[in-house]
Amino acid sequence: MDEVTVKQQLRDWIVSRSKIPVAEGQLTDDTPIIEDGYLSSLDIVEFVLYIESLRGDEVDLDDLEPEVFESTNTMYQAFFAAAS
Amino acid sequence: MNMTSTELAPKLSTASIRKQWDVYSAFDWPDSLPEDAWYMSPELISLYGTEQYDALTEAQQKKLSFMELCNFFSLVLQGERPLVQGLVHRLYLKGTESVVSDYLHHFIDEENKHMIMFGMFLNRYLGKVYPEKKLNLPREYAKGEEEVAFLCKVLVVEELGDYYNVFMWHDDRIHPLVSEINRVHHYDESRHLAFGRARLAEKFKENSVNWSPEEMTRFRDWLASYLKSSWGDYYNPTMYKDAGLDDGYNLRQVAWENGRPLREKASERLVNLFLENGMLESAPEL
Repeated sequence: MDEVTVKQQLRDWIVSRSKIPVAEGQLTDDTPIIEDGYLSSLDIVEFVLYIESLRGDEVDLDDLEPEVFESTNTMYQAFFAAAS
Repeated sequence: MNMTSTELAPKLSTASIRKQWDVYSAFDWPDSLPEDAWYMSPELISLYGTEQYDALTEAQQKKLSFMELCNFFSLVLQGERPLVQGLVHRLYLKGTESVVSDYLHHFIDEENKHMIMFGMFLNRYLGKVYPEKKLNLPREYAKGEEEVAFLCKVLVVEELGDYYNVFMWHDDRIHPLVSEINRVHHYDESRHLAFGRARLAEKFKENSVNWSPEEMTRFRDWLASYLKSSWGDYYNPTMYKDAGLDDGYNLRQVAWENGRPLREKASERLVNLFLENGMLESAPEL
C-alpha cells in the first residue's frame, strides 16, 4: 500500500471515530489528533489494532512514545515508512 | 446498612488470612493440555452465535476457546499490573487508614498470586502473555478525581473478569484445571470487590461534591468511554490469528457487533453500582 493510500485510510478512520464533527478537508496530515480532540487516549487502543491490520504486523506500545500518535504524518513515519 | 470500607477492611483481612493459599503448590500443572477440550465456555467465546463461529468445525471452535481463554487470562493479568502499582502507592499513604493499609497488604498479595497463576498457565501452554494495547496519556483531573478514576479502573477489570470466572467455574464442560483457576480467582476477587465497591462509593461521594458541573460531565463521559473501551480487550485480533482464523481485525468487528448482550449482562452489576452512586446518570451504550 502506498503512502497516499495509507494516510487516506488513517484519516478516514479518524473521521469515522471522531468525537467532534469534521468538515471535508478539515483534517490534514499534520492535524494534532488528540490535542485537538478528534480522538481520546481510549480511542487509540482501537486505532492501534486498525494500524496493525493495515501493516500486517503487531505494534509494541512499550517501545513507543505518545508523540507518535500526534498526527497522520507522525503515525505514518512510525508505523509504515520504516517498513516500506 | 452497608458497611464502610474501614469497617470491612479488618473483616476482609481476617478472611484473607483464613483462606490463604500457596500459588506454587495449588495446582498440578500437566505437561500439556489436550486439544480436544473446551477452555473458554462456548457461550463466552466472542464469536459465539455468529455465522463465522458456526462455520468452524468443533476442533476449530475448541482451539478458539483455548485462545480466547488465554486472551482473557492475559487481559486480567495486564489489568492487575497497574492495579497492584496503585495499591502499593496507597499503602501507609497519609489519609489511608491503618486498617485499610493492613487489608491492602492482603489485596496486593492476592493480586500478585493471581498474576503468578495466570503467568504460569500462559507461559506453560501458550508460550506468551498477550500484551496490552493501552496508551496512558497525561490528562487533567479535578481534585480527588484521580483517586476515584483509579478505583473505577480496579472495579472494571475485576467485575468483568469475575462474571467470566463464575461462569467458567460452574461449567463442567471445560477443562478442570481452567475451572479450578476460575474458582480460585473468584474466591479472592469477591473480597476485593466488596472492598472496592464500598471504597469507590465513599471516595466518589467525598470528592465529587466539590466538582463543577463541567468536571462532573467530563468524569461521567470518561467513565462510560473507559467501560466501553475495556470491553475491546476481549476482542483481540491476534487471538483470532493464533486460533488459525484470517482477518482478525474484521473478526473483532464481527465479535463487537455480536457481543452487546453479553457485554450488557456482564456489566450489569457494575453499571448499577455506577448509577446508584451517581457516577453515571444513565446506562452507557456498550
